[in-house]
Order: sequence, then C-alpha cells, then structure tokens
Amino acid sequence: MSAFSPRPAKQPWSVRSSSRSIEVALASVIPFILALVCWFLLRIDYTVALVGVFLPLQILCAGYIGFKSFGRRGFMDALLLVATIFLSATVLVLLSSVLFSVILKGWQALSGQFFFENNIYVSTTTSLTYGGVGHAILGSLIVVAITTVLAVPLGISIAVFLTQSQSKLRGPVRTFTQAISGLPSVVSGLFILSLMPYLHLEHVGFAGSLALFPLMLPTMARVSEEALRLVPNDLRMAALALGAPNYKAFFKVILPAAKTGIITALLLGLARVIGETAPLVLTLNPNNATNLNPFYQGMASLPRYIYSFVNTKYPTSQERAWGAALVLVMVVALLFAAARILGRKKKLKTTTAKKKETKKDA
Amino acid sequence: MALSTTKASTLHSEDVSVWFGERQVLDKVSLTFPAKQVTALIGPSGCGKSTFLRTLNRMHELIPTAGLAGSVFLDGVDIYGEEMDAVDVRIKIGMVFQKPNPFPTMSIRENILSGLKLSGRKIENGDELVETSLRRASIWNEVKDRLDDQALSLSGGQQQRLCIARSLAMDPEVLLMDEPCSALDPGSTRRIEETIKELSQSMTIVIVTHNMQQAQRVSNQTAFFLADDNTPGGVVEFGSTEQIFSGPIDQRTNDYVNGHFG
Repeated sequence: MSAFSPRPAKQPWSVRSSSRSIEVALASVIPFILALVCWFLLRIDYTVALVGVFLPLQILCAGYIGFKSFGRRGFMDALLLVATIFLSATVLVLLSSVLFSVILKGWQALSGQFFFENNIYVSTTTSLTYGGVGHAILGSLIVVAITTVLAVPLGISIAVFLTQSQSKLRGPVRTFTQAISGLPSVVSGLFILSLMPYLHLEHVGFAGSLALFPLMLPTMARVSEEALRLVPNDLRMAALALGAPNYKAFFKVILPAAKTGIITALLLGLARVIGETAPLVLTLNPNNATNLNPFYQGMASLPRYIYSFVNTKYPTSQERAWGAALVLVMVVALLFAAARILGRKKKLKTTTAKKKETKKDA
Repeated sequence: MALSTTKASTLHSEDVSVWFGERQVLDKVSLTFPAKQVTALIGPSGCGKSTFLRTLNRMHELIPTAGLAGSVFLDGVDIYGEEMDAVDVRIKIGMVFQKPNPFPTMSIRENILSGLKLSGRKIENGDELVETSLRRASIWNEVKDRLDDQALSLSGGQQQRLCIARSLAMDPEVLLMDEPCSALDPGSTRRIEETIKELSQSMTIVIVTHNMQQAQRVSNQTAFFLADDNTPGGVVEFGSTEQIFSGPIDQRTNDYVNGHFG
C-alpha cells in the first residue's frame, strides 16, 4: 500500500521553454494586430483584411513555428489547428450574429401585451402598444403539435421496421424516406393543396399540419433509425433469453436505450417544420383573431405573421415582424429545453464514494 | 444461504443438426445433460459449440438464416414440439452470454427483476428475490449498498455476475453459459466458477468454455466438439470429465486436451 501523492501543478508535456512561449505568443498576436492596422489605418475593407491579411499571415506564423519545432509534421499540425479554429470561429460568429440581429431588432416590440394579444384591431401603422402575436404563437403550436402527433408514431414505426425486421422491403422504404427528405417544402404545400378538395378541407389549421407532415416524417424516421441502430443487439438477445416477447423486449429495453436519440429526432423534426412558411402560405388562411379550432377557418402562425408584416413598407409593421421573429426563436428554444428535460436519462445514481471494498479472498 | 426450490431437469438433444443458410455447421449431435450436473462443451473455435448451446433454449432461431433438424427434450418434452412456445422454453432454460449485457437503462435492482417484468410475471417479495439472486451469484456483498446504482457502474466481472443473478431470478431449471468468463480477469473467473459449483446443487448447467482448466474444475462431464475442414461440426467424444481429460479414447480428443492443436 503506497500513499497518495499530490498531483503536480504543471504536467510534463505542457512545459515549454520561455523562448518558445514568446514565439507562440507573438505568432498568435502579430497577424491579428496587422489585420487591425490594415482595417483601421489603411482603410482596407474588413473582409479583405480578414481573409487576405489575417488568415495567410496566421497560417505562415503558425506554420513557421510548427516547422521549426517538428519539421513537416509540425507544419501540417499547425495548418490544421489554424484551419479548425478559424472555421469554427467563423461559424460561431455567423450564428451569433443571426441571433444578435434578431434580438437587436426584435426586443423593442416585446411587451406583455405582444405575447398575449391578437391582431384584430391592428393595421399596418398601428403603434406597437396595441396588438401582439398571441394568436400566432397558439396557431403555430397547434399546427406543429398536430404534425408532431402524426409524424412521431409513424416515423418511429418506419425506424423500427428498418432496424428490427428482416423484410426485403427495407431497401425501397429507406430510399423512399431519403427521397422525401429532399422534397422542397413548397411542393409539399402544393401537394396538400391539390388534395384538399378531395379531403373536403378548407384552408384550415389541419391542412397546414398535413402540409408540414411530409417534411417532418423523413427526419423523424431517419434519425430514429440511427438511434435504434446504435442499441447493441446483445440487449435484445438478453431480453429474449429472459423469456421476453418481442414487443416487451422492444418497449422495455430497446426503446428506453434509444430514448435520447429519439428525442433528438423529434427536435430535428420540430426544427425542420416550425419555421416553414411556404406550405402554410399555400394551405392555411391567415387569421387576425385567435382561433383554436384546427378544422374551422384560418389560423395565424408565426412564420406567416412575419412574412406578411415584413412585406409592408411601414416601420412599425416591420418592427412587429422582427418581434415575431424573436418570439419564434424563443418558442423554439423553449421547446428544445422542454424536450431535453423530458428526455433526460432517468437519474440513476452512481455511488462514487470509494468505499473500502471488502474483498474476501479464499 | 437460501437455496432456491428449483426443480432441476434433464436436458437431452437428439440428432441436432444446424444450418446457416445452405451451409451445415453441426451434424447429428446427441447429448444428455443429467439433472444437477455441470456439462462442459469444449473444442476449437468455429466448431459449433456456441451454436449448439443456442439451440438448447431456442435462441438459435433468432438468427435470420438459421435452420435446424432434430429434437431437444426437457424432461421428455420436445422443446421444438408444435405446441411449445419459444418464450416459455427460454423462461425455463436461462442463458448467460459471453459478453456481460446488463440493461444500461436500469439499476442493479431493476436488472434483477427485469426478467420477471419482461416475461409478464408478477413480482412478489421483490426485495427478497433481489437479495437471494445476488447472493446465489455471489455478488450480494459487493452491491448490497448500491442496489439503485446504474448497472453499468459495475466492473466487467461484477456485470457478468449480475447477469447470472438476473438469470437466476427467473428460477430456471437449466442454465446455459456461453464462455461466461472469457472477458474476465482471473479473480472474477474464480468467483463465477465457485458460483457454478454452488448452483449445480440445484440446477442443470451447460457451459461452453475455451479454458481446459476451467472445464476440469467445474464440470462433471465433458463433450468435445470438432469440425474438420469443410465438414460440419460434431461431437467427437462425450464422457465424464475425468475420462475426457485423463484417458480419452479418441486420438483427436487427446491431442486437443493436451494442447497439440486448437
């Protein structure tokens, strides 16, 4: 039995000589400073400064240091490092600027009444202290909820068919699901529009849900299929060897093991349809009043609301549209958070406290 | 220790032949596994031992291309008979796999009770059953303070003993073990072997193993399987463990148990 030793403050592989540290610091700072100089002092356009000055200089500096330390291999490593950091930073900036602009332009429209009131007494020039998107939030939620109720069981069923059966039809079904995942949303809307007379449907909420259904289904099916495929076959065998009928092995063992993945499928499917505008424009009449009946008269929806208000030339209307966009982003964020909390793995504690294991040796 | 009231049964295979697709992998295997005896199946890789084991509780038919001829009798009743339900067979004849496969979404306690839940039986005295099963698999002392922990938090050897306990909770008449120690360290192996010896007082056990010493330590009788090049596998020699290891009749058995091939 030896005693515990304290963990060293510095790991042997992270110790660098001071001259090397200075080199690395310079290589990280110089290209950035030069790019700033080009932008502010030489009045070069910032995209040109970024792509034409900063990126090549950074690659050169990092490559030089890498080459000096490890030769060719160090150069390639440095190149990869710069490329990955630069590209991920670009994506991060792009995404956060989308979010930032929505928040910046949308927050002024937000108020209690904007969330809860509907649009009955609002014209294109009505001030922002009247009316809101309450009816559109409810409408969007109802339309998407109906789509979800239709698409989730069917999507999971397809996934189960693709993973658990031995049928020869699996190939065609998989190809077909893949094919409709490429269906343009406007085509989906047109298809339902052409079916509506036969289904005796007016431009009501349910028609909108039907138009979103072909968009959500393939995502749901494909992602759940991947999730189910990741469940080891051992588990199914273990369940069957214990005398479980197939359906119980599926519902009590396989499905719980794939739960997180299926929640992801649901989220991706929701994300695919909640912002769709084109199918709703074709199949669902807008409504300024609050309508909760998906089978009678039109229904407001957030994407449609944004679309109609942003197309006017009045500043208050455009502000309304941005406000609605921010609300849409918030609704998506809330739905995602709710799904993640519901889908959280059942809390099984792990006794981490290292108790003295009483080993009884024979 | 509370021994269960298991009814041990005799298992008997008659002319069992097995195909995968068009390829025959086993030819006319007839073996008898008497009640309360441990039978070891030994032989080189690919000779069909594990496949044979899986025919004994109808797990074999879950492989899409599987084919089978012959009969397996559990106390005189053909488990492949027209009236038999595969699910009932698997409840009576438990199985432990090569790789530990506890259910990851369940706690230790839930794993033990999972068999009853999955086969749709009522759970009476759940706590008592959990304790008895874990004790019989000699893992109770290690897990009694953390029955609600995730099953995957256990070490590999503990997981395997948990899986044995899970099978024991079903109170099977026969327990099939497919190389249960092949992924385990010597300490865990020794404990599982002790468990097997204790269990053999109350049930029939068939164990596939690559480990000669293990076969000698735990089994009462041994069957040597062999598949010659391009022929289906079959039993070369079957007899008491002592005879197979110290005085085999067949030259090939002699060569194998003395490590000359395989």
